[in-house]
Amino acid sequence: MPTAALAGCGLFDREPDPSPTPDPLAELITGALELAAQHEAAIAAHPELTSRLEPLARAHRQHAAELARISGTPTPSATPAATPTAAQPAGGDIQALLASLREAEQAGQRAAVEACRAAPAHHAALLGSIAAARATHVEVLA
Amino acid sequence: MTGLAAALAAEHAAIFAYGPIGVRLDGAARREARAAEEAHRSRRDALVVLLSAEGASPPPAEPAYALPFPVTDRTSALRLAIHIEERTAAAWRAALPETTGDQRAQVLDGLIDCAVRATRWRRFAGVAPLTVPFPGRPD
Repeated sequence: MPTAALAGCGLFDREPDPSPTPDPLAELITGALELAAQHEAAIAAHPELTSRLEPLARAHRQHAAELARISGTPTPSATPAATPTAAQPAGGDIQALLASLREAEQAGQRAAVEACRAAPAHHAALLGSIAAARATHVEVLA
Repeated sequence: MTGLAAALAAEHAAIFAYGPIGVRLDGAARREARAAEEAHRSRRDALVVLLSAEGASPPPAEPAYALPFPVTDRTSALRLAIHIEERTAAAWRAALPETTGDQRAQVLDGLIDCAVRATRWRRFAGVAPLTVPFPGRPD
């Protein structure tokens, strides 16, 4: 009887897990919006990078919208640019800025590859295109 | 035809196309064409192994493939290289849903490689933008 009570206590004392099964699509949407925001912040700081980075920022926003559509969540296109999480290098060093964007795209590519690998069949093609798009962004930033 | 067999057929066509592409290029672009052709041969070989292991009969290469437009100079060669990589990317992408696990990872690698090469060819050709939002997705 004490054993059973203890086991019961242990069960209820455990900290509730806020997200026991994180939605992989929700995480990818957040990641896409953060990548878009990083490119947009870079363009704001260095307008001469616009032609190079603007298509990348737009692609990430299109990815977020398409992911929201297939997951049935409200389209994030109306969401204002998220605050960039990665600190932009100060002092206007364009090379360092491009290197940080490249790293962010590489991390994003890995996340999308993992998501595609684990996805149900009906999401595989879209997630594969997003992974491939991020790989081409890495190439553009090389 | 399954998606994997269609990807193999696309790889056969890509390998054929890099012949006429390569002879119209020089310097770095020619080296890129040679590397691309090698990469397509590796993907082809891996697909033949994969399909054979599954008991499917891999479609053989045709003796020749009709090119979508004549390749007469550097400009048309680069245009065909972009076209070939986009088409092969689409074939790989279409095979994703029918795969799982390591096989899906392999198919995704095929898609990613084609998409990256398409971007490189757009850079050689001076085409902007260098990227598309959804590589391999039908228009």
